[in-house]
Amino acid sequence: MQIIDKLSILADAAKYDASCASSGAPKRSSEGKSGLGSTDGMGICHSYTPDGRCVSLLKILLTNFCLYDCQYCVNRRSSDVPRARFTPEEVVTLTMDFYRRNCVSGLFLSSGIIRSADYTMEQLVRVAKLLREEHEFRGYIHLKTIPEADPALIEEAGRYADRLSVNIELPTDASLQTLAPEKDITSIKQAMNTIYTGVQTVLNEPRSAKFAPAGQSTQLIVGADDTDDSTILHSAQSLYGNFSLRRVYYSAFSPIPDSPKSVPLAAPPLMREHRLYQADFLLRSYGYRADELLKGPGNLALDIDPKLAWALDNREVFPLDLNRADASLIARIPGIGLRTTERLVELRRQRRIRYEDVARMRCVLTKAKPFIITSDYHPQQAEVTSHMLYQQLRDRPMPQQMGLWG
Amino acid sequence: MISLDCDDLFDTWRQQARWLLSHEVDPSLVSWAAEGVGDLFASDDPVPEGQGPFQARIPRALLDTLEQAARYRGEQRWSLLYEVLWRVSHGDRTAMMAGDKLGSELQRRIKQVSREAHHLHAFVRFIERPKDLPGPQYVAWHEPAHDILHSASEHFIGRMGQHRWLIATPRDGVYYDGEQLIHERQCPIEWQQLAQNVDDPHGDLWLTYYSHIFNPARLNPKVMQGHLPVRFWKNLPEGELIPGLITQARMGKQQNGQASGIADRTGKRITSKNQKQTLTPALSQREREPAEVFSRTAST
Repeated sequence: MQIIDKLSILADAAKYDASCASSGAPKRSSEGKSGLGSTDGMGICHSYTPDGRCVSLLKILLTNFCLYDCQYCVNRRSSDVPRARFTPEEVVTLTMDFYRRNCVSGLFLSSGIIRSADYTMEQLVRVAKLLREEHEFRGYIHLKTIPEADPALIEEAGRYADRLSVNIELPTDASLQTLAPEKDITSIKQAMNTIYTGVQTVLNEPRSAKFAPAGQSTQLIVGADDTDDSTILHSAQSLYGNFSLRRVYYSAFSPIPDSPKSVPLAAPPLMREHRLYQADFLLRSYGYRADELLKGPGNLALDIDPKLAWALDNREVFPLDLNRADASLIARIPGIGLRTTERLVELRRQRRIRYEDVARMRCVLTKAKPFIITSDYHPQQAEVTSHMLYQQLRDRPMPQQMGLWG
Repeated sequence: MISLDCDDLFDTWRQQARWLLSHEVDPSLVSWAAEGVGDLFASDDPVPEGQGPFQARIPRALLDTLEQAARYRGEQRWSLLYEVLWRVSHGDRTAMMAGDKLGSELQRRIKQVSREAHHLHAFVRFIERPKDLPGPQYVAWHEPAHDILHSASEHFIGRMGQHRWLIATPRDGVYYDGEQLIHERQCPIEWQQLAQNVDDPHGDLWLTYYSHIFNPARLNPKVMQGHLPVRFWKNLPEGELIPGLITQARMGKQQNGQASGIADRTGKRITSKNQKQTLTPALSQREREPAEVFSRTAST
């Protein structure tokens, strides 16, 4: 099979993994050196596909032959898809070619499980080793980690890769047992712990060899089973806490060809995935806790964002005086982000903040208005009930034509 | 009105501005020539001679801020900077801040400029020239909207190592000869021709990848255009695929994520004896030959 045919099959097989980040790597440069590639911590999105997703890395599977039968996966062994397998050298060739063209910032390599977990992991590590040692490649490498593989192999992977990831896919043990019978949560968490320990070990030793400097991430599939957002967000929160994960990716279940009966035929609304990302961002960067965003079991609202939902539930905190309030509270005002918060604090050191200053800062003023006080403005809406505000501020979906098949 | 021309060079503007400020010339009394356009209302007032008495004190960060904003191409390119400089040097630091009317325009320009630098890092596409030719090994044609080429192309020195590369634009151009970066304000025609007339015999690998990593079940052209503005499409090899992929997705490929070329191929189910047992971690060490594992089944 020609390399271009393999590429079409193995890129098609890899598209269900949401992550394509190339950020968080240490500063590396090839200036005046043989070899190729640099990283500086910032990711670069080299292109965007018409699904609105960024293309930052060459994201492919080494092979889509797989012994596992995960029901949500297009590459499960019972799936009737064309199969292919790259040699490690072919992956290296493609990576270097795309990198020289400036089409990607590196490689994100994953694989179906062939022969054994160890064998598969060895193959993945071999590609990274070839790139780093034979081709002096200094671009970004993200390796998928096979949870059941020998910890020694995972440690070896961490020496070549910038990021490692172990996908949980389904957030509860019961769902894993039903939909991904060969996977188990214990080995997934053991693998995460191996990576966590590796990262921690070199953290305070600047002279030791680097270990996955861009940390680890994982992916959860949303909508393949009936797990609710509350469970998902609480899982994410404990993953951030226990294993210092850099990112949890949420991937709305994408219907696959020749779909088994155990998974839904239709995709969950992409808005659900979007709300989870918003809530996740609030956990990571704004200091919200999962139980603040969802008090009990259930899903996030689809028609208002989670920050607005929290504000409507906690009206006693608002309105906040932008000239006095603590920065961490200003960041909790709907429509005002971290950057605007910084700018407000900077400005109020110079003079009193007026309403028109806020208007100029490109925040979402309609959302912020009911929740702020400035030197010349007090919201009339402060007295309006949360229910009324909700009616005013919620997203109204565009009317959509019914699908032909319902 | 004093009319000045700094030839769109920051250092020239800086000299002029320092001099005007020392005489405390009010911003409303100065204008800078826009590229190729004379000021209709300019009446040439004489420029005060020699260094004036006013000693301006400005924060160090201001100069960097102004230099960044100076890369913005647009109206009032230089006079806005002088107004900011004037206000800050007279004690009003809000002129640099996003909450201020002038400051927010300044910050907007800086944001546009850094976005355009990022566009260069992302959307430049190098094409390899035939081996053993003298001159650049890799060439690219790019059309930036602001004057970011010189400063932003340093990024590629780290990225490309000792390779020789060239980026040509309709205005300026850069060439890295393996040791140093050469910037020409007027891109030589030979550079432009090198970048625009290069053959790319192996370009189809990237196009294949691009079409197959796209998930038609998640079609969202609006978000895409927000990140990848249409003005860049014509210089991206994948640009001409975009309309077709969108149409195809709308025509029914949205049922699932698979590209149509893949669905047409013969599939392969995988069978193995004692499937479940071979897959538990304890037994996964036992290696099996691929031939046994990947035995072919009838495809539908």
